[in-house]
Amino acid sequence: MNLFEKSFLYITITLLSLLTVCSKPDNKRIVLAVGGAPSEVEFWEKIAAQCTEQTGIELQLIRQPTDTDQRRQNLVTALRAKKATPDIFLMDVAWIAQFAGSNWLEPLQPFMDKHTISDTSFFESVVKQADHYDNKLIALPVYVDGGLLYYRKDLLKKYGYEKPPETWNEFIDCAKTITEKERQKNKNFVGYVWQGAQYEGLTCNFLEFAGSDKPGIVIDSSSPIIHTKRNIEAATLMRDLIEPYNISPQNTYTDMKEEEVRIAFQSGNALFERNWPYAWKLHQSEGSAVKGLTGVALLPHFKDGRSASTLGGWHIGLSRFSKQKDKAFTCIAYLLSSEVQKQFTIQLGWNPGRPDVYNDSTVLQIMQHAPILKEVFNHTVVRPVVPYYSYMSAVIQRYLNAVLSGKIEASAAFIDCEKELQEISRRYSK
Amino acid sequence: MTSLKRSQDSRQYSYDWPWVTLLLGPGLFLLCLLILIPVIGTIITSTNRDITFMDGKWVGLSNYAELFKDTAFRQSLRFTISFIAVSVPLELLFGLGLSLLMNYKSSFRGIIRSLVLIPWAIPAVISGRIWELIYNVNYGLANYIIEQFGFEKINWLGTSSGAFWAIIIADLWKTIPFVAIILLAGLSSIPETLYQQAQIDGASFFRRFYSITLPLLRPVIVVALLFRTIDALRIFDLVFILTSGGPGGSTTSLSQLGFKYFVGGDFGYGSTLSVIIFLCALVLSLLVIKFGKFSQEAI
Amino acid sequence: MRENLLERMLFYTGLCVTFVFILAPVTFMILMSFSKNPDFLGQSFNFTIRHFYEIIYTRSLHFPEYLANSLIVSSISALISTAIAGMGAYAFTRFNFPGKFILLVGILALSMFPQISIVGYLFRIMAGVGLINTRTGLVLPYTAWVLPLSLWILISYFLQIPGELDKAAYIDGCSPLKTMWYVILPVASPGLFSTLLLAFIFSFNEFMFALMLTTDQAARTVPVGISLFQGLHGEIPWGSIMAASTLTTAPVVILTLVFQRYIIQGLTRGALKG
Repeated sequence: MNLFEKSFLYITITLLSLLTVCSKPDNKRIVLAVGGAPSEVEFWEKIAAQCTEQTGIELQLIRQPTDTDQRRQNLVTALRAKKATPDIFLMDVAWIAQFAGSNWLEPLQPFMDKHTISDTSFFESVVKQADHYDNKLIALPVYVDGGLLYYRKDLLKKYGYEKPPETWNEFIDCAKTITEKERQKNKNFVGYVWQGAQYEGLTCNFLEFAGSDKPGIVIDSSSPIIHTKRNIEAATLMRDLIEPYNISPQNTYTDMKEEEVRIAFQSGNALFERNWPYAWKLHQSEGSAVKGLTGVALLPHFKDGRSASTLGGWHIGLSRFSKQKDKAFTCIAYLLSSEVQKQFTIQLGWNPGRPDVYNDSTVLQIMQHAPILKEVFNHTVVRPVVPYYSYMSAVIQRYLNAVLSGKIEASAAFIDCEKELQEISRRYSK
Repeated sequence: MTSLKRSQDSRQYSYDWPWVTLLLGPGLFLLCLLILIPVIGTIITSTNRDITFMDGKWVGLSNYAELFKDTAFRQSLRFTISFIAVSVPLELLFGLGLSLLMNYKSSFRGIIRSLVLIPWAIPAVISGRIWELIYNVNYGLANYIIEQFGFEKINWLGTSSGAFWAIIIADLWKTIPFVAIILLAGLSSIPETLYQQAQIDGASFFRRFYSITLPLLRPVIVVALLFRTIDALRIFDLVFILTSGGPGGSTTSLSQLGFKYFVGGDFGYGSTLSVIIFLCALVLSLLVIKFGKFSQEAI
Repeated sequence: MRENLLERMLFYTGLCVTFVFILAPVTFMILMSFSKNPDFLGQSFNFTIRHFYEIIYTRSLHFPEYLANSLIVSSISALISTAIAGMGAYAFTRFNFPGKFILLVGILALSMFPQISIVGYLFRIMAGVGLINTRTGLVLPYTAWVLPLSLWILISYFLQIPGELDKAAYIDGCSPLKTMWYVILPVASPGLFSTLLLAFIFSFNEFMFALMLTTDQAARTVPVGISLFQGLHGEIPWGSIMAASTLTTAPVVILTLVFQRYIIQGLTRGALKG
């Protein structure tokens, strides 16, 4: 062989072997995909180490982004490619149906029986509404979220209100009275801040406005119904709060997402706020203008309805492609145990999916509003549990946002919206 | 460009198919396997119902029919077209200006040429993140400058029009240098003597620009224009980082929308969108080939 | 004379604007990566290298792994694609064969395909052969992706080499491969080098394939890593992101500045021909 042929051969061999070295084989660890803020992921890391210590199973973390869509994309990639890892992962409650419908989630009941865990240890309504698909248990709640009404205790007291309003009529009266007076001192003061920008949060807010015993969007025999009297009433109220009542700010439908809402309330410029439970800890933190002045209550409702909170939060699932399902479930069981869940509550201020944690004395000490949370989680409404929910929500958000900005009347909007939803549902139903 | 025109007969061996196969084989194999086959696969997928949570079946062109009813598609088409219509002319305009600067004889010539490569070399994702920070409402550079001039802060990424211009500016930062480099090549091939002659004749700076530079540069400008249009058509990275298509879907580019459908599990419809983008790009690239002065005797 | 002055004034104004517009974002990035607080504009600047320490030593951030993946994947892709493109360019410039023009134009068209129209099915192929989330699974599409560009640049370089040079060798009984190796490649080395550089930069900056084809640090590249770097509810760790960006940008920018001439040559050749 001459020099040329030799070098050609060697280069080829090196390249090929480099290529094969690059692909690592899967190993014996259980891999858990979690995302969130750095502090949260760091805490998960600690919990994973604990889990390894307690169960003898090596639990490795995959750090996911915070953005919900990106987390979903990340998991969809792995699951669609039928990868054995991650074995277990957290899912936003809104994607469980997509994952379950795609047959990516292992039914958990057999494992529950083996470990003698009962699903009654968790919030019953949550597990029933969100964690079942085709009558099979396919996920369990790790972190439960629901819409809450935050209010200014000091202002209500100052104007002679003993407790936060329960119906929308009372709410509007109260907010109008106080806002008008407060505005004389503070031009930026508003009555009620909530999530009205065109994104997922808007759908959640709408479901709460429309909340009653029945969810606002009904999918009966695979045909979505949104054009109902109650929904029109709710959407009209949402618009009215901005204009003519002038209780909610004009930028509600352009800017208001969780953080904008939280900051508006936290800077002392709002009487009421609709937000998820995470805002509590931040409102009570150093430097907050509403520290110690914040109260939490159930969201108001129409006279003939009842208070509703849209169910949010993260649920844990077991991949159907996992090669070590038994071990993986042992980890799930550990992560959902009362002990670990209590740590999440104390360290991160999370709301666990187990009611028993809310009775714990240490937890009650740092979460004085735990009893209200518990009540909220028994009043949850779910977003439609269909695999194509994300497509539906995009349509709903668009119409609702148009209603909020006054571009279209609620009833006209819902007629068109329903048509589009039915179109989607027709497309994605078997 | 000049070398292309030379006759190449003297350099070429006769047709020797074993060697041609051997030399071209690996490349063609890779291109077929990893680009051509996926594109064909995408076209096939677009005629199927291919959704992770449903059984697959062949549906013919019904995915394409859906496109016409789809408001999200129309919205993203509108965004993509406005993006092209605004960004490409601006890129060419500023790119031309920059290339004149780069071609101007001065002691800064070397520095300028290195400098313009920086935005081009920085990964789009990173420049996206830098601009995301610049547009930050509270501590971003953009609002800081605006406030220095006494204007109100702008919610750059939170409003539809703000987000649109935010994307345009960030895109200009990255692409003007590229356009300038291409145009520079055209500029430097214009013979110096033409300018000298014009100067002797007393032609002003602008006059020289209009009667010499622009006409001679036209073919290069056309190529740059088509190139940039194709690139702008498939914009993804910057939108993904800066707005992820928001607020309210107002900045969702076609690529971004297709990606969203892939993530949502609807591969069939996502592929349909991809085929549409592909067809637009194909038409444009045929134009590139036509205007790029390709000729049979080129090689 | 006045004409000349006007021209000069125009030039220097343009120069200043260009300098500021190009450098301001980069400077802002570097400042942010060394700042304790993200809101240093209009306030005092507190220097720290904590962010760099964090992204390198916080294991769960996996930044070093991402960087390693990026460097490995892009170097290998650049090497392979330049090698393959070199062979192809040799065939195109030295052999006559039927359908040559069509083939060349076809390859050119391939390079303009939008990535989104490839990535969905590519994902499927890679999932089929189990290459999702492997470096190999990125090297293969990257190589193919930069191949047309590499080919075009090299063809234009090879065309400039006088035919007499290698024809002599060929007639002397050298095989084409040998001729290419001993005669063409040494002469074309600047061209090969710029191709290599460009292919490296293009692969290093690629985003969509990496986003769709990787799931974790085993293969994820820096651009994806940085794009996914976030905090909760809007609190973005800007210091760390900018530190990571600075570290990632540094090698590419240095490479670009040092080999400026090669890159400009490569870009113009690739672009004007294609």
